[in-house]
Amino acid sequence: MQASALLPLAVAVPLLGAALLAVIGRRLPRVGCDVLATATAGATVCCLVLLLGAGGTGRATAHLGGWPADIGIVLVADPVGAGLALLAAVLVLAVIVYSWRYFDEPSGQHAGVFPALILLFEAGMTGFALTGDLFNAFVFFELMGTAAYALTGHHVEDRRPLHGALTFAIVNSLAAYCSLLGIAMLYARTGQLNLALAGRSLATGHGGVPVTVAFVLISTALLVKAAVVPFHFWLPDAHAVAPTPVCMLMSGVMVELGVYGTARVYWTVFAGPGGVPPHAFRTVFTALGVITALVGAVMCWHQRHLKRLLAFSTISHVGLFVTGVALLTPAGVTGTALYVAGHGCAKAALFGLTGVLLDRYGSVDEYGLHGRARGLRLVGVLYAVGGLALAGLPPFGTGLGKAVAEEAAGTWQPWLPAVFVLVSAVTGAAVLRAAARVFLGAGPRPQPRPHEPETTGEGEEPEIRSPRRALPATMPTVSALLLLLSLLVGTAPGLAVALGRGGERFTDRQGYLAAVTGTAEPALRGAAEHTWTGSGIALGLLSAALACLLAAAAVRLRAPAGFSRVVASAVTPLRRLHSGLVGDYVAWLTVGVAALCAAFAALR
Amino acid sequence: MTARLRVWLFTVAAAVVGGFFVAACRRLPPFGTARHPYGARAVTAALAHRTANVVSSVNFDLRAFDTLGEESILFGAVLGTALLLRPARDESLSRARTERVLPTTRLFGVLLLPLALVVGVYIVAHGQLSPGGGFQGGVVLATALHLAYIAADYRVLEKVRPSAAFDVADGISAASFTVMGLAGLVSGGAFLQNFLPLGTFNQLVSGGLVPLLNAAVGFEVASGVIVLVAHFLDQALEVHPSAQAPQPEEHPT
Repeated sequence: MQASALLPLAVAVPLLGAALLAVIGRRLPRVGCDVLATATAGATVCCLVLLLGAGGTGRATAHLGGWPADIGIVLVADPVGAGLALLAAVLVLAVIVYSWRYFDEPSGQHAGVFPALILLFEAGMTGFALTGDLFNAFVFFELMGTAAYALTGHHVEDRRPLHGALTFAIVNSLAAYCSLLGIAMLYARTGQLNLALAGRSLATGHGGVPVTVAFVLISTALLVKAAVVPFHFWLPDAHAVAPTPVCMLMSGVMVELGVYGTARVYWTVFAGPGGVPPHAFRTVFTALGVITALVGAVMCWHQRHLKRLLAFSTISHVGLFVTGVALLTPAGVTGTALYVAGHGCAKAALFGLTGVLLDRYGSVDEYGLHGRARGLRLVGVLYAVGGLALAGLPPFGTGLGKAVAEEAAGTWQPWLPAVFVLVSAVTGAAVLRAAARVFLGAGPRPQPRPHEPETTGEGEEPEIRSPRRALPATMPTVSALLLLLSLLVGTAPGLAVALGRGGERFTDRQGYLAAVTGTAEPALRGAAEHTWTGSGIALGLLSAALACLLAAAAVRLRAPAGFSRVVASAVTPLRRLHSGLVGDYVAWLTVGVAALCAAFAALR
Repeated sequence: MTARLRVWLFTVAAAVVGGFFVAACRRLPPFGTARHPYGARAVTAALAHRTANVVSSVNFDLRAFDTLGEESILFGAVLGTALLLRPARDESLSRARTERVLPTTRLFGVLLLPLALVVGVYIVAHGQLSPGGGFQGGVVLATALHLAYIAADYRVLEKVRPSAAFDVADGISAASFTVMGLAGLVSGGAFLQNFLPLGTFNQLVSGGLVPLLNAAVGFEVASGVIVLVAHFLDQALEVHPSAQAPQPEEHPT
């Protein structure tokens, strides 16, 4: 099938599946709903695999409605965009299979609603990754949001999920208004909504305040979705309360789509003359990325609620992804793309395994579960492997992505690789520490700390109401397969080469414009080969070793009281900022927008 | 963060953002000039497809894919509301009470309900010709049925709008938009490309796919809004905390 037909199918198939499930779901038995949802998710994966095959390492376009780009909407698939859509589709398939026997879905009138919303979520993600139109991207961004808010609040019996979902919805919707304002300003200036044509039109002007402000406003919603500090506060609150399968999708790919959107909008619209100067973007976004990575790592280390721990580790990794794309080099994009793919699979696997703990023990508290999961050997081994993958152990995809991004970052600022090593070591160590305590009962039982501003993971609702049954085989199996996929990202020979080309395509404004307008694309410069290097393997091993040491020290050693006090006095104010109050989060959102405006105005 | 600090932080930051926003807007092209970059292209394209209402042409032809996304957002919002407002384990259902209504109010409903329905259908059906269309007409249609609640009571409304049927209608109309898009693909064109005869300009049958997609959205919006309101009304009138759970006592102030 032609690529121009496959592109819209990647959105239409999940939309149709969702509508079908909503219509006939209530008449089908649970198995029927599962089969229908799995078939739809599988068909979307096939569609995207065929699309990547048909498009090769080039660009495929679809002019929807047969209209040219300055009138209608054009979908564009390049290896990075289509690859990210494929990651979303693979994770959706994994989540649907994971939920087969796990999830206590409402029945009767509401049967089929949960998988239907998951499929709408998927359509939002694939549409967002494949569109070449700014307003269309906004529409799919909102579709993603609508589905995600509802899915986050799924456990209606408990107040906490509703609170988390409400915070998520309010912060994201406010940011979406900012983006809409920004889109309107850009449209007023250029008369175009197509990304490439808006970029071409900007080149005839000479930038200035409207362009800068438009860029900051458009980025706001994307940075909120990406959970970049100080826009990140909603994420741990939503992840702590959302059903496990939904966490797998949000952490695995939705958050990363925010980073992708920022990079795509910058490259296609604002990177040329009359836009936002590259040195300003590089400085501001590297700063944002490094701050996010460090704040995420510190907060991750101090969590005992396992889902919050994983959520902060996602924030921390997003900081590294932002740093990678902020380099504005093809190698930075390639490294980040590999890193996102490896991280998405590993993080989804870790959330899946945390779901096993929740299912068995009704708790996700590192302290409360101390030694209780000794019986779950396989799950424990997988958990530790996931922690090592997060730390960037070769040959996992996270390790390869980290190595390529590190090398690209090191050629610009020699100290940046240290941030990559440190952050992946700390987040990996936090997971390993939790695994050692929960599955091995290692070290003394941690004492409760009632005076600390922290969220325990006790008293969580198990997600199924028949606790006296065997563990469904799908839960550990899906998690193990996801870890295997993360390994494949690092070892499959063709992938790094294809994404190497993808990095070149992603940063090639002229080629993107040519593909959209249907003129001949300029030939690609020879793409650099990205593969394992000696230094990359060494740094990967170093961060994995550091992670093991840190975890062992945390479990075994008792820090001197003075040291603990200094750490606590430094970290407690940061932890108190994560207050759970929507008003605080909105204030920080405004501060972030103001800071970005000021920074870009100063660096113009 | 104390409430006071929060207000300060927000005020200062909002002032900075506002300053930048005003400065940016002052440098944007002015309103009311003769230059309409997208407008000019869209009018030409709409006339070429014999659609008299250019706004509908943008919504259902030129940028129909946006509308597919938007109606999916509404569809998702309806599903999400169904999920979040489902009766929880600690809630029970009871039938809404019958209510006494003034005869004049009842007369008002009996006269206005059919009238409002006709207006809604008119607005949907003429979307390709005159201002209005599926989104607006759909909301009018949904509102029309709720006159039954005002002029009678909830039991009557439940007879007029069986929410299970509208649930199904919502899904079918959402799917039909996608199916028409795929039909364009099957007939050899692009996704959502017109494959029907364009008809005569300014006639009811004109604009090719526009009236059909418009109708699909009209049905989707009408049934979606009906189902959405139904969930909220159910929550207010029929869902109660279970008898076992004792009501928390009011604290004396």
